[in-house]
Amino acid sequence: MLRGYGKPGKATKKTKIMDRNQITKWLKSPDKMARKYSLHVVYFCTGCGIIEIPPTITARWDAERFGIIPVATPRQANLFLITGYVSVKTLRAIIRTYEQMPEPKYVIGFGSCPINGGMYWDSYNTIKHLDKYIPVDGWIAGCMPRPEAIIVSVTHLWTLIDKEMANGYLRYKKNYTAYRRNQEMVLGTLEWPPVYQESGNGDQESG
Amino acid sequence: MVTIILQSILSVLAALVIGVFFLGLFRIIMARIHWRYGPPLIQPVIDIIKLFFQKGMSHGIMFDFGLIISLAGSLAIILFMPFGNWCPLSGSGGLLVILYLMLLMPFGVALSGGAGGNPNISIGISRKLILSLGYEVPFLLIMLAVMTQYKSISIVEIVQHQQNSHWALLSWPLCLPGIAYFLILPAMLGIRPFDVASAPQEISSGSMVEYGGKYLAFAHIEHAFGLSITIALFVNLFLGGAGNIVFFFVKMLVVFFVGLCVHAVFPRFRVEQAIKYLWKWPTALAFVGLVITVLMK
Repeated sequence: MLRGYGKPGKATKKTKIMDRNQITKWLKSPDKMARKYSLHVVYFCTGCGIIEIPPTITARWDAERFGIIPVATPRQANLFLITGYVSVKTLRAIIRTYEQMPEPKYVIGFGSCPINGGMYWDSYNTIKHLDKYIPVDGWIAGCMPRPEAIIVSVTHLWTLIDKEMANGYLRYKKNYTAYRRNQEMVLGTLEWPPVYQESGNGDQESG
Repeated sequence: MVTIILQSILSVLAALVIGVFFLGLFRIIMARIHWRYGPPLIQPVIDIIKLFFQKGMSHGIMFDFGLIISLAGSLAIILFMPFGNWCPLSGSGGLLVILYLMLLMPFGVALSGGAGGNPNISIGISRKLILSLGYEVPFLLIMLAVMTQYKSISIVEIVQHQQNSHWALLSWPLCLPGIAYFLILPAMLGIRPFDVASAPQEISSGSMVEYGGKYLAFAHIEHAFGLSITIALFVNLFLGGAGNIVFFFVKMLVVFFVGLCVHAVFPRFRVEQAIKYLWKWPTALAFVGLVITVLMK
């Protein structure tokens, strides 16, 4: 994954992605900059990929350098890592967690399983296309991806936030009827009311 | 009049800046102890800016007002607390007002959480109140000892006495309550080994579980104020205050750093272990200190 970036010594010159210290950018768009450099990841073990999170947040790779910390509740989070395969049962929890997160929120699918089912491609119980049920802003391919891949994916997420392309939550709001229909096709009846009004431009309810 | 208003604004600003600085320093020092590099010093500021731009969610009018009560309590304490030579409302109240107002901070959070309706909040609040029951007993004994020794309830006079002679922590009968105060300081700050009330791994950060967006931002600010107040009270009562804000800040920094080292190396007490500890050593020290102070007078 990191091979394309050349030798470690040269990498700093080639890839100057981080603009946290540029005051002018902070004054121009404080919301965008603060969103980029304060990503709080929801602490939710969705699959086996969660095993890559401890080395990422602890001493070896130390994601806190970039303001990425895990938080214990979806209300405080704005980044959701879908770590590993998604079973039908997990999907229910994932949707509830996603809907509880405050906007703006970003989702990254981690590993090959959320992308297309991975090694569970013919399982009756595994969700093959996560993108049908909740909007995903980016994918990390691999089984397992290395912890560096998480950090590289976060730099890609920064670029997306800069270009205002990380708009999964807006897509969810806009196409909520379709997403809800897809969710009901897999899970049967959902026991919670629609989060947005069916017209698609409603406000978020408390719940 | 103008000086009082100016000093009020300045001391609130100083408490906020010092508290947020401590939150940043907290994360850096913890990272260095873990052998990590750690976030930049302004990371709490970035977090608070982001949280204000995020869409929070309310659970009714009490949910909002509880936080406001809590914040108002902290702001009121700061007006009565000398920060260096700034003490806007020094003529009135003193320690007794601070003792009463300090109850507002957990009380407001409890009111706010009660409206949230999450079971984790109830557990967190009950733990917080039990813990405050644990540290209030030694805390009141310490306050009594200090008030008896200096025959005053005014913090300004207590600071003046100490600056005329020497620090309370280094004088004979008051060193015992001073040590007791330092022993209960982690419980008052809610840091390890007394972070049962906001344990992220057990009860999803307790009373903070439903806060998001600007509510969480205000909770962070309230936490920053709480840090400033508790440490400032220790510095005023036992380290002799300071002539100006810079020396005061340096003393606060030392106390905070020592407390942080305790935080970094200890695991978490269970609630009943915490109560057992709080009602044994700090209470005994404070009580013995109080008795000796009374007998020597």
